[in-house]
Amino acid sequence: MATILITTLYISLTIHIFLIGIAVWRVWRGENSIDRLISTDLVTTLMLAVLVLISLILRDSIYIDVALGLGALSFIGTVALAKFLADEKMF
Amino acid sequence: MDTILQLLALIAVITGTFFSVVGVVGLVRLPDVYTRLHATGKVGVFGVVLLLVAAVLWAPLGWGKALLLIVLLMVAGPVTAHAIASAAYRLGIPMKDAVRDDLESERKKME
Repeated sequence: MATILITTLYISLTIHIFLIGIAVWRVWRGENSIDRLISTDLVTTLMLAVLVLISLILRDSIYIDVALGLGALSFIGTVALAKFLADEKMF
Repeated sequence: MDTILQLLALIAVITGTFFSVVGVVGLVRLPDVYTRLHATGKVGVFGVVLLLVAAVLWAPLGWGKALLLIVLLMVAGPVTAHAIASAAYRLGIPMKDAVRDDLESERKKME
C-alpha cells in the first residue's frame, strides 16, 4: 500500500511541476498586468503544493513550515501588488 | 489502521492533483481576467488543502502545522481573489460577454 502511495506522490509531483511550467508561460504571455499577477499567484500556490508533496515524500514535517511561510508571504505580496496596481500607491 | 490512513491519503492526493490540473487548465482556457480568477481560486483552496489533508493523515507528527496551513489557505484564498478582482475592476478591465454588471452604478459615480 505504501509503495502505491509513494508512486502516486511522485506522479503528482511531476504533474505539479509541469503545471508550474504552464503557469510561468502564462505569466510571460499575460495580456495585462492583472493577468500576470493572477498567474504569479497561481505559481506560488503550486509551489506550496510542491512543498507539501515533498514533505509527504521525504516524511519530514519541516517542509510544512516552509509552506506555511511561503503561504503567508505570497498572500501579503499578492494583496499588496493588487492594491498597488489599482491605486498607483501602496499605502 | 495504517493502510486505511494510507488509502485515504491516496484518495486525497489524487483529488488534490485533479483540482490543480483543472485550475491550471481553467487559467489557460478562460477568456478574461475575472473568469480566470475563478479558476485559480480552485487550485489554491481545493488542490493544496486536499494535499494537506493527505499530509495530516499520513505524515508523522506534523498534523498540527498542516491544520494551521489549511486554516491559513481557507482564509487567504478568497481574500486574494477578491483583492485582485477589485483591482482589475478599478483598472477598468472589460468583462468579456458579461451578462450583467452589478457595479455599473458605482463606476458611473467614480467618473
